[in-house]
Parts: sequence; C-alpha cells; structure tokens
Amino acid sequence: MKQQPDLLDNRPATAVSGPPTDPNVLLEVRGLRTYFHVMDGTVKAVDGVDFSLKRGQTLGIVGESGCGKSVTALTIMQLLDIPPGEIAGGEIWFDGRDLLQLPPEEMRNVRGADIAMIFQEPMTSLNPVFTIGDQISEAIILHQHVDKKEAMARAVDSLRAVGIPAPERRVKQYPHEMSGGIRQRVMIAMALSCNPKLIIADEPTTALDVTIQAQILELIKKIQADSGAALLLITHDLAVVAETVQNMAVMYAGRVVETGSVEDVLLRPQHPYTLGLLSSIPSLHKRGQQLDVIKGVVPNPFRMPPGCKFAPRCPFAWERCSQAEPGLMAIPGRDVLSRCFLHTPEGAARRADYDKVAVATVMADVR
Amino acid sequence: MDEITQARIVETPEDLEELLTAHPDYDVQLESLNQRQLAWRRFKRHRMALIGSTMFLGMVLIGIIGPQLLPFDKNSYIPLDQVSQNGRPPMVSPYFHPFGETTQLQYDVLTLVVNGIGLSLLISVGATFIATIIGTIVGGVSGYFGGWLDTILMRIVDAMLAMPLIYLILVFSEFLGNGSASWFTIMLIFALLGWLQTARLVRSLILSLREEDYVDAARVAGVGRLRIIFRHLLPNALSPIIVAATLSIAGFITAEAFVSFVGYGISATTPTLGNILEGAQQAIGQGNWWWAVFPGLAIVAIVLGINFMGDGLQDALDPRAKI
Repeated sequence: MKQQPDLLDNRPATAVSGPPTDPNVLLEVRGLRTYFHVMDGTVKAVDGVDFSLKRGQTLGIVGESGCGKSVTALTIMQLLDIPPGEIAGGEIWFDGRDLLQLPPEEMRNVRGADIAMIFQEPMTSLNPVFTIGDQISEAIILHQHVDKKEAMARAVDSLRAVGIPAPERRVKQYPHEMSGGIRQRVMIAMALSCNPKLIIADEPTTALDVTIQAQILELIKKIQADSGAALLLITHDLAVVAETVQNMAVMYAGRVVETGSVEDVLLRPQHPYTLGLLSSIPSLHKRGQQLDVIKGVVPNPFRMPPGCKFAPRCPFAWERCSQAEPGLMAIPGRDVLSRCFLHTPEGAARRADYDKVAVATVMADVR
Repeated sequence: MDEITQARIVETPEDLEELLTAHPDYDVQLESLNQRQLAWRRFKRHRMALIGSTMFLGMVLIGIIGPQLLPFDKNSYIPLDQVSQNGRPPMVSPYFHPFGETTQLQYDVLTLVVNGIGLSLLISVGATFIATIIGTIVGGVSGYFGGWLDTILMRIVDAMLAMPLIYLILVFSEFLGNGSASWFTIMLIFALLGWLQTARLVRSLILSLREEDYVDAARVAGVGRLRIIFRHLLPNALSPIIVAATLSIAGFITAEAFVSFVGYGISATTPTLGNILEGAQQAIGQGNWWWAVFPGLAIVAIVLGINFMGDGLQDALDPRAKI
C-alpha cells in the first residue's frame, strides 16, 4: 500500500503512473473508474478504486450489493459489455503489464492462462451441452497447446486435485448429472487447470448451502496455498473474509473506503462504514437486543451526494463531510488506509467518540 | 461375480428392483441418460410424430429409390406411345396401374409423381439446408456482437420481410431462369430468400443465451468470440433451429408447387409436383381426376408428415420437458 494520503480528492492527482515498483506486486489497480451509460444518465459503478495484491497473497473485497465489487472484477477481466459500459480511467497493472492497454488478442491469452475466475452460480456456469471433460480441456488446449488426449488427462488430474471422486468417470458426464457443490469444484478445477497466477473468486459460496460453503472455502484456501496463485475473493460475507484471506478492502458506492490486513480492519475498523458493517452482524451476545443497522439506504447512483458518499448515513459526519470527499489516508501506526475525515486534524475531536464506539462494538463481537 | 464388473443401464425402478433381487451385492451407480437418449425417448412416445416421420421418410424413400424401379426415363415426361412399345395397351384410367395414365398429353402419372416427389424434396431439403446455414450464421453473429452490425443485418432482414416473398420468388425465377429455371436455380432462389425467419429466430435465441453464465465462463477461459458463438452458443440453440428447419421444408414444398403451378418455376418438362399439377389443370376438367389427385396427395403426405414430425421434435428436443 503505497498510495500517498490524499486529502481532498479521491482521484489521486499525485498518482504514480507506470508499473508498480515492487516486483512482488502481482496486481495493482489504480484509480479505476467504470461507468455505465444508460438511458437515465451515467452510473459510476466503480469510481476510483485502488488496491494492490502481492504474488501468492490473498485479498478480499467486501461490500454490500451494488457497491461495485463485481464490476471491479469484471473490469479486471475486461468482460464488460462496451457500450453501455465504459472504462473511464485508471490503470490495472498485472504482472508488469497494464491490462487496459493490452490489445484484445493478448488480453484473451491473459484470461484463463494467467487470470482465472470462479463464478457465483455453479448451476449455470457450465455449458449444459458439453461434458465437463470437454469444458476443462478446452482451456487447456487453448493455452497450453497440447492435444486432446493430453488435455483430457490433465482435466482428470485437476478434477482429482479438487477432491472429486472417480474423476475418470466424471469427465465424461454432463453438468446436469452433478450437484451444486460438485459443479463448483469443477469450476475451481477449470480455474486451476492452466496454473494461473491470479484467481478471482466472485462470491464463490453464495449459491451453495452452508455445509458445502465451508468445504468450498477450505478447498479454495488449499488450492491457493498449493498452487501459489494470488487470490482475489469478492464477497459480501465478513465471516468468509475473516476465514479465508490475509488482506481486505471494504467498498462503498464504487470506492474503496478502507483497506488493510484482515485483523486490523476487522478488529480496529478505521472507517465508520466498516464499523457499521461489523455492528450489524447478529451475535449470540446481543440476543434480545435490537440489531444495529446502518441507517438510511445506499445513495441513488444517479444522484450521489457531493462530498463523502457515506456522509448521509454516517453517525459521525459533520459539515466538512458533505463539502468535500476524503482521499484514502494512511493511519499512523497501522497498515491500514481509510477514506475518512476523522483522520484529519480537524476530525480529531470526533475521533475520540468514534474510537469509543468502535472499541465497544469490537469488544462485543470478540467477547 | 463377473457380471458385476459389467456396466448395465437400468431405465426404470422396476428394472433396478429386478436386478437387485437377482444380484443382491450389485454395486449400483447412477448412470443417467444423455440429452439425445432422453429426446429419443420422448419422441418415441409421441404417436403422431412417429406416424408423421414414417410418412415423410416413406416419401423420401419413394423419391430416392422410386425412379430406379420405374422403367421410364426419370428426367422427362413419358409419352404414352413408349408405354405401348413396352407391350402394354394405352389406358385412360387409373385401373391399369394405380396412378393411371393420361391420353391428352400421353403421360404416365405414376412416373411423374414418383419423379416429382424426388425432385420437389431435393429442392426443398436443399433450400432448407442452405437457408438454415445462412440464417444461423447471420443470426448468430448479429445476436452475439450486437451494435451496428446487428442493426444493419436486422434492418436488411426487416426490409426483405416487408416485401411479399412469393412475388419476389416469381420475379427472381423469371429473371434468372427465363421461366424455365433448373431445379438448382429454384433451390438457390428459395435458399436466398428463405433464411430471414431463421436469422431472426437464431438472433433471438443467441440474445438470451449470451447472457448465460457459461458464456462468461468461456470468455474467462480465453475462448475467442467466434468459437463462443459456434461452439458454445449454437449447440444450445440447436433444437429450435432443427424444428424450424423441419417445418420450413414443408413451406418450400408448397412454395415450389405454387411457383411451378403459376408457370414461373422449373421448366415445364421437368416433373416436380407443382409442374405436374400445372399440367393437370385442363385434364381435370376432362375427367382425368387422377392426374391432379395423386400429386396433390403426395404434397399433402409430405407436408403433413413433416409438420407432425416437427411437432414431435419440438416436444422431444425441449430440455425442460418431462420424461
């Protein structure tokens, strides 16, 4: 995390350009903006997202529906329909190349070979008219230039690696012959099959039932550790993030509002939105009490508030918050960046209030 | 023990029961039928479809084998004096052989009808084949890429559909064949004007299929766009395309009959079902009813057979249908 604290603008004017200086950084997203031009105006689905991910490390992106986390993933993969979509700005540095500058031909080689993706809906992510062997081997043939027989053998290997029993028989089966959990394993096997450097998992467990969710998360963790690939996990579930990844980024209204290690962010949240998310988790210790919720609703994408996008719902907001938008600020003493005026000198007075609430919330959860 | 190592497909619970009683230690593994087997099973249960396809395949068989079995030249009308030379007296009723002969123009109606079935089927099946390929490519590309390409292609289709196609066929046939086109020319005209509905159908199918998650999954795997259209999307759209193609054969049969009947089709000396009917116009007034009835029946049998078959295919190929 080497963004400079940047007080007034979320579009880093001081932004560094060019490839990341640290060769260990596999993926660095800077100032990414993805807009959708629709009949009623422009939806700024992603409006200045920055994060970076080191080789072999794991990053979770959390946020509620519509905050732009999936669009971020689709933008990295360049799977958006353009138009109505538009990548309005930013850089996506992956392994020394800016993906946004790659010609489509080379981008196609990056997909599947270097970046693989696991989808939310295993029931519909496999083509019903092909055997799963055909589907896994297609990518292998495309990217590794081996013949069909060799590709099938590798497909069997990757199915075995994700713990599917009798893989030799499974490769000949069609998706409708499998349960959701097995299909998600097949999707993971597909993602693995070309030894990607980065795996993007977009809500991989949302469509599965709870017992299978745990298995799939375990599996994703295991294959990530075994293969050494970096993992970008997108979810709305804080528990999934807490269990699976090392670093996390919290998104709200198309922006990253807080980012840092999972322990720091979840145990010492530095942004009121993160705090709101944490306090709205039901807990055994709060039995009988009213559940805390974040008041208000997500702003209308056509009429975003002028200053901080979270200000209208924020219990700690003051005039400053609706006048200007804070940048991501480094928090002294912690490896965390937060997009909040509480961390400026003029927010210092309110900071004490915030800290009190934050400590109380986290203690209630930890206890 | 060795029958246990042998795989066996069990279709019903009763079979399974029986098998398990015979071999209590049988290792049961579920082996489900694939889509093709399921479709065939549904098709078999559709009685009208079975009757229809028997009718249609029967006509195809007559069209292919019939001309080989008949004693007369298969490409031209058979003057009656040739029949006489074969040692049979000229007859004026269907009672000499079931399809009868005619005196006025001295043709053997059986030979005409058998050859006509073959040629009419050749034209309509060939035209359907070409039209389906064109329509599938245009519709597939249009639906997947969208944008200006889609707009241009679909406005062309709209413009062509706005014209009454049957008159367009007449004009083309007059222009290209001077009123006596070869069967190949007629087939091409049909194909070039007959892909419009297929293109629309395929476009609409692709439009909905391209939103499926497995398309994104294929794109994520780095699969190219044309390969996604033709290998991932079209196989999923195949069933409705097959059904539409089947039904369009029937359309082309009647269209050919109409075009030939009004005298713009294949040269009058070539026996297609339409040409035979055209020749029968005067004959029927003179009491030679069999000259019109038998080719007419052939058309009815083919069209009816195809329509029943298409109906059955529609039900059988629908993946959402119950067993």
